[in-house]
Amino acid sequence: MKKIFISLGIIGLIAVAGALIVRGARSVGVNQGYEPDQPIAYSHKIHAGENKIPCLYCHFGAEKGRHAGIPPANVCMNCHKKIKTDSPEIKKIKEAIEQGRPIAWVKVHRLPDFAYFNHSQHVAVGKITCQECHGPVESMTRMRQEKPLTMGWCIDCHRQKGITPPEGHLSDRGKAIGGLDCAKCHY
Amino acid sequence: MSLLEKKYWKGLEELRDDPKFIEERSREFWEEPGLQASRRDFLKLLGFSVTGAALAACTRMPVEKAIPYLVKPEEITPGVANWYATTCAGCTAACPILAKVRDGRPIKMEGNPESTLTGGGLCAAGQAAVLSLYDDGRLKGPVLDGKEAAWEEIDARVSKEFGEISAQGGKIVLLSGTIVSPSTRALIGEWLKAFPGSEHIIYDAVSSSAILKANETSFGIGVLPRYRFDLAKTIVAFNADFLGTWISPVEFTKGWAANRKPPAMSRHIQFESRMSLTGSNADLRVPINPSEEISVAMMLANEISKLAGKGERPFAPTNLPVDKKIIRETADYLWKNRGQSLVVSGTDDIAVQTVVNAINSLLENIGKTVDLDNPSYQKQGDDGIARLLDGLERGEVQGLIVYGVNPAYDLADSKRFVEGLKKVRLVVSFADRLDETTALVHAVCPDHHFLESWNDANPEASFYSLTQPAIRPLHATRAAQESLLMWMGRTEDFYTYLREYWSKNLFQQQSKFSDFDLFWDHAVHDGVFEAASRDARTREFLADLSDVGARLIAPLQIPSNTFELQLYEKIAIRDGRHANNPWLQELPDPVTKITWDNYAQIAPATAASLGLKEGDVIVLKAAGGQVTLPVQIQPGQAARTVSAAVGYGRTRSGKAGDNVGVNLFPFAASLVTIEKTGRRVDLAQTQTHHSMEGRPIVKETTLEEFSKNPAAGNEEHEQLVSLWAERDKEGHQWGMAIDLNACTGCSACIVGCQSENNVAVVGKDEVRRRREMHWIRIDRYYAGADENPETVHQPMMCQHCGHAPCETVCPVLATVHSSDGLNQQIYNRCVGTRYCNNNCPYKVRRFNWFDYAHNDKFDFNMNSDLGTMVLNPDIVVRSRGVMEKCSMCVQRIQEGKLAAKREGRPLKDGEIQPACAQSCPTQAIVFGDLNDPEAQVAKLNQDGRFYHVLEELNVRPNVGYLTKVRNKKEGAS
Repeated sequence: MKKIFISLGIIGLIAVAGALIVRGARSVGVNQGYEPDQPIAYSHKIHAGENKIPCLYCHFGAEKGRHAGIPPANVCMNCHKKIKTDSPEIKKIKEAIEQGRPIAWVKVHRLPDFAYFNHSQHVAVGKITCQECHGPVESMTRMRQEKPLTMGWCIDCHRQKGITPPEGHLSDRGKAIGGLDCAKCHY
Repeated sequence: MSLLEKKYWKGLEELRDDPKFIEERSREFWEEPGLQASRRDFLKLLGFSVTGAALAACTRMPVEKAIPYLVKPEEITPGVANWYATTCAGCTAACPILAKVRDGRPIKMEGNPESTLTGGGLCAAGQAAVLSLYDDGRLKGPVLDGKEAAWEEIDARVSKEFGEISAQGGKIVLLSGTIVSPSTRALIGEWLKAFPGSEHIIYDAVSSSAILKANETSFGIGVLPRYRFDLAKTIVAFNADFLGTWISPVEFTKGWAANRKPPAMSRHIQFESRMSLTGSNADLRVPINPSEEISVAMMLANEISKLAGKGERPFAPTNLPVDKKIIRETADYLWKNRGQSLVVSGTDDIAVQTVVNAINSLLENIGKTVDLDNPSYQKQGDDGIARLLDGLERGEVQGLIVYGVNPAYDLADSKRFVEGLKKVRLVVSFADRLDETTALVHAVCPDHHFLESWNDANPEASFYSLTQPAIRPLHATRAAQESLLMWMGRTEDFYTYLREYWSKNLFQQQSKFSDFDLFWDHAVHDGVFEAASRDARTREFLADLSDVGARLIAPLQIPSNTFELQLYEKIAIRDGRHANNPWLQELPDPVTKITWDNYAQIAPATAASLGLKEGDVIVLKAAGGQVTLPVQIQPGQAARTVSAAVGYGRTRSGKAGDNVGVNLFPFAASLVTIEKTGRRVDLAQTQTHHSMEGRPIVKETTLEEFSKNPAAGNEEHEQLVSLWAERDKEGHQWGMAIDLNACTGCSACIVGCQSENNVAVVGKDEVRRRREMHWIRIDRYYAGADENPETVHQPMMCQHCGHAPCETVCPVLATVHSSDGLNQQIYNRCVGTRYCNNNCPYKVRRFNWFDYAHNDKFDFNMNSDLGTMVLNPDIVVRSRGVMEKCSMCVQRIQEGKLAAKREGRPLKDGEIQPACAQSCPTQAIVFGDLNDPEAQVAKLNQDGRFYHVLEELNVRPNVGYLTKVRNKKEGAS
């Protein structure tokens, strides 16, 4: 009888350990909540929230191509030539331009190399808002990864949303947008 | 024998059912003998992997930086490619191209469709030229007396010494290859005036000077004509590989293919010694020895002269190397199409070229298919090099500039050149690396890569194209033209000079633009400018054939134990200039399918009589010296000949090209004896890999049969019931149709695919183990007797089967079907069981046995920061242990669809082209949507010639083929 308890106990321990390992393993590479320090204390809350600057003013690449992109320093200076010129953070940008030394931002939203993601597909074609994937950016003082950015998370959305392709288009039947084909993203 | 029973074979071992071959072909993967793992090894590896995985899971993801531009250039959007029109400098054909630039880096080259000469086609070497930009072997800056130096230092020294030499009445020679750039030619003209007594000598490593000289005596105009293959209904070529390497292969291939669309088919007859790419595509191929060429040409001239009613010319050859019936038939075909026929010879022999001129003149081809009034400038070399060697020997040359040539490597007399060089006071080179010649010079002033330069080209009469930089120079290099300007004391840059030249010389040749700036902007944008051509007129044949006659009276006496040696260029390495390009080294030769080597090609009968096997190392001996080469037994090779490729045996080209093969340039003997060494080497041959076990995979017919029945040769189709449920085929269904009649086997698609899809180079050893990674291969099948077989080239890549056998066996669903008909391979899901490859009937899957990127064992382009700049950022670099294969360029499909969606319009047929289809100079590969009834590919699917390979397996491929049609009589060889 005692032996049975010991065996059951061991099996139980293995099961718990296994479950923990699986849970841990599932979160490997998932950086939800990642909120690193940036070289310049830029606040989306001030720019996008309080001053209501459209996202695409700075992230103009999002409509055109694969990368939304971090704005080039000269885009900052479009306004900051006049506004808050004495702020130490703005001075950093000014110096960077003067010295020809690019600003190395810390990347927050990262997809693995084997997943191809195109911003213009979602922004220009799918017409979804930035917040759907990036969360309430306009309220963030420091940029944070709000959503898990896992494949399951992508697929969930693709399963829920339906689209009607424009007249004459053969591509992507309405069942699920973009289809759920592997090679839509993995190539 | 009916066509269906015709036996096709890929190699002699298959034809003869060699037991070793039969054993090997049943194995899919090459395995190291005796490599077995025990249970213990398994447990060790298991323990290691579990620990490794656990440790890896504990590490934090590394911090990644995102660095935007400080001031973004207006035309760049990160992640969006820009295309710049420019001109290829891979050879002197100067094909107009478009360079794809992603985030500032040129990553792919495609033919410029605006050009009416090449129409969007580009050869394998041209496609690979983008890799040479990122070649680690390139010089990073100028070198003076073997040490790195500053430009100012070099300029001071060169200007001073050239000034002194010139002032003392000394001679400076500018030695260059063919210069297709008119502005550079004009600049050199000015330079020669600035340094009186200087001379410009042009030579080509593989010369066509005999054509220029023969035309001088035959027609009084010493130019290289523009050959109009597009106007020729009958083509006869003597040892001219015009689809592969001769003068302007892309243009000629396009022209040739225009008349190869059944039912309108030209007839192409090839007389040649080795089986060239062109010969393998001919309707009739006749093997002859090089020395017999002149007799055959003369026989042909006599026959045509008779047909023209001008009687037999004198000096009819006494020995008849070719059946007179064949000559008579050839003459008949030519005569029937006089004015629409073309006879060419690739032999650099004035007598032969004169006879060829006589034939074309009799056939009234001058001014029609042979256009002397709109000449080609693609081969300008003459015999000036002999004059230079004499001058060097006598110490008459005080200054020498070496521009774009490598005489210490590619001259037959390179020793004399190297000796002579020592007597020259100042030798300057514009070479981009310390090659065989440059290692011996005083000052090296490295020129830009053509993708970094401004330049222009005038390959043929009225066809101009511009070269514009696609990237800022990577190293401290300087345009050669700017160096010349500098030493003349001029301060302008070459861009200014070029614009000035166009403004003075080309602007007035057009009337579309009244403002030069507008004209220039359009020319830069389009890349090409085509001025009005001159009227071609016929010319009288003036030459005297008595010289030729004298040679025929005393034909070459060949002792029984000797062979005639024929040197040739391979389509990839050419004259050796592409030696350090690993893509080209690994490109299988279209006929022999050998990579990374040159070899002595001999006929099967000769091999049998000498007791030689493939790979046996032999010594070729002649009065001038000897070379050691492995034997390749080439079906169709003329019996008394040995052919070997030049361009190999480089010693200072760089890490990929050094010591690959043997240099044959110094061995220009015509007669050799063969001696065995008893040694053997394994040639890195892809030929018998992935065998299809003799099933009918290529189908063919004759034009005669085709005209009776458009489905001739393709009558048998299997109608089979499938156990699988039919797939839902809504939306797009991507498919391909490949015309075996249009495919020449030129292999441009292989390099195009490699460049587009980040396909790894694996090296000679791995190719020997059958582990090359090319996603598309070209299977070459022979049919008929091995003395002179017929050849079929068949591009083979993933067939994207509707009921794919690979998909059902994958235990992890890493290969699955997409809703638009693609067979997808998901690398991040693949665990490398290789079951899919075992179950693939087409043998098109490639396994990553190693990490090929950043691995010192594979020290090619993917092992350095510079080399990896060529990688396509839209495509993953596959890691070890995963399977990969053709994706039908899914990234291009996605890109095309997205562009259409962004603009809110339906996709147009032809808008999306996979890399292979795009690169094809003959448009043999057609891609499109099978569900779009108006799509060209859907129409071809209904064609009588259309079939699927291995239909009996009922795997329902989305890729199909069109039968090959030969313009020959049924039963004739």
